[in-house]
Amino acid sequence: MSQTIKQTVNAPQTTPSQNAPVAPTIAVRKSCNPDGIGLSHYVLMDRKAAK
Amino acid sequence: MNAVLAERAARGTLFQPVDIGHPLYAAVTDPQTAFWALVDKNKVHEANRDPDLLAAYSAKAGQFEQELHALRFGLKPSGVYLNPTERCNLNCTYCYLPDTQRSSGTHMSAEILHASLGKLRDYFRSVMPADRKPRAIFHGAEPLMNAPAVFEAIDAFADDFVFGLQTNGTLLDDKALDFLTSRNVSIGLSLDGPVAEITNATRRTWGGKSVHDKVLRAMEKLRGYGSWSVITTCTTENLPYLTRMIELFHAHEVPTCMLNTVRCTLSGARGVKPADGEMAKAFFAAMDRTYELYQQTGRKLMVANFANILIGILAPTARRLMCDISPCGGGRAFFALAADGSLYPCSEFIGLPRFNGGSLLLGGVEAALDSAAFKAVTTRDVDKFSPCGDCAIRHFCGSPCPAEAFEMNGGMDKIGAFCDFYKEQVNYALRLIADGKADDYLWDGWDEGTETVFALS
Repeated sequence: MSQTIKQTVNAPQTTPSQNAPVAPTIAVRKSCNPDGIGLSHYVLMDRKAAK
Repeated sequence: MNAVLAERAARGTLFQPVDIGHPLYAAVTDPQTAFWALVDKNKVHEANRDPDLLAAYSAKAGQFEQELHALRFGLKPSGVYLNPTERCNLNCTYCYLPDTQRSSGTHMSAEILHASLGKLRDYFRSVMPADRKPRAIFHGAEPLMNAPAVFEAIDAFADDFVFGLQTNGTLLDDKALDFLTSRNVSIGLSLDGPVAEITNATRRTWGGKSVHDKVLRAMEKLRGYGSWSVITTCTTENLPYLTRMIELFHAHEVPTCMLNTVRCTLSGARGVKPADGEMAKAFFAAMDRTYELYQQTGRKLMVANFANILIGILAPTARRLMCDISPCGGGRAFFALAADGSLYPCSEFIGLPRFNGGSLLLGGVEAALDSAAFKAVTTRDVDKFSPCGDCAIRHFCGSPCPAEAFEMNGGMDKIGAFCDFYKEQVNYALRLIADGKADDYLWDGWDEGTETVFALS
């Protein structure tokens, strides 16, 4: 079986409009001590359930 | 802003634009730190000149880079996948373990299993904080083919490990369920179809008998238990039925499922591999159905493999699944013990002798971690091979899985089996964030224990 694999993530095409309101920027990042050990054959998502 | 970031911004290469298919938003990422922002799609090409975004990001970029580097290269193992037998009572089309092992392989003796867990306990004590227990997951082939040894080990090492068990569910009789649930063992099942005809297409006994109803019975008995999940392996055989799988799981109050793409490590799996576009279409229809069911009932069914993509974007260090990161978790966050006592980076490699890292009891964990077999996996770095090295989302995806890349695509420096599907998952996840819906796809309290280190909204 063969597939065509795209080489890059698509860049957006823009259509500027001077009068349209600008959507506010959204960016969030959280951080913690890493302790994940799941893999595709098994995963326990909820940390509390492991204790 | 430091000089390197300023130069990249001036050249217009600090932030890479990504069309996420949203009516208002596009994404920009700095793939080197797994940073992302959603910006007005008509302003996306101005992001590299946005003073507020540049100032906010530059204040944190160093911290994000250190965090990502530590996650990718600084972990010590905290889990082990234990294969107490080579045998399985099923002959699934896509299994990653060779037929000969599953049909006529050997069990690990109770004595060897006991000695192995003792050695593993000592290893984990040497690398983990005293207030954390390592995880030990009994795993395929079918661990309950050797249930006496497994159960004895769980009781003998109850104070030393948090145990889990991934099973095909066919041997989970009342006695086994009572034993496992009374000891709070996390249980994973597998089911591929909403009806027997679909499950039978890929999961059946060596004699061709259906196991569908046995798994449904196990699911019914586990209803209400706190820690269980069901894996559906997505193939050409069940792709049109993923939405019905979601409805079945939700009706059975399954708390967590995975809709995994079939792992194409061995040739049998490649015969039922769906195309990326078809996989994405069916998968997102199923995800949309989970959202509808949540809205209708107030009860979430978490699709863990997608939830992990979301978490990998929102909180890279909080990810639970260690496949979607590069290097993957194999051989560094966890490793696998085969039934013959050999160590492998991950169970996915057990059918591939070149990835044998040596004997646990004779050589030990440290020797395996340092072996060429493990290093081949733990040094697979998406920054260093094409096309991943130029990809804006490479650290949300990780180009899984190295076993597939090696066996199916010809080397560790090749992409995984579902490149375009991963891109579409990231786009879908970013659209949910843009629409304020991400928490609806994650379990309540998923971010307990995390700290918000960046916020623009």
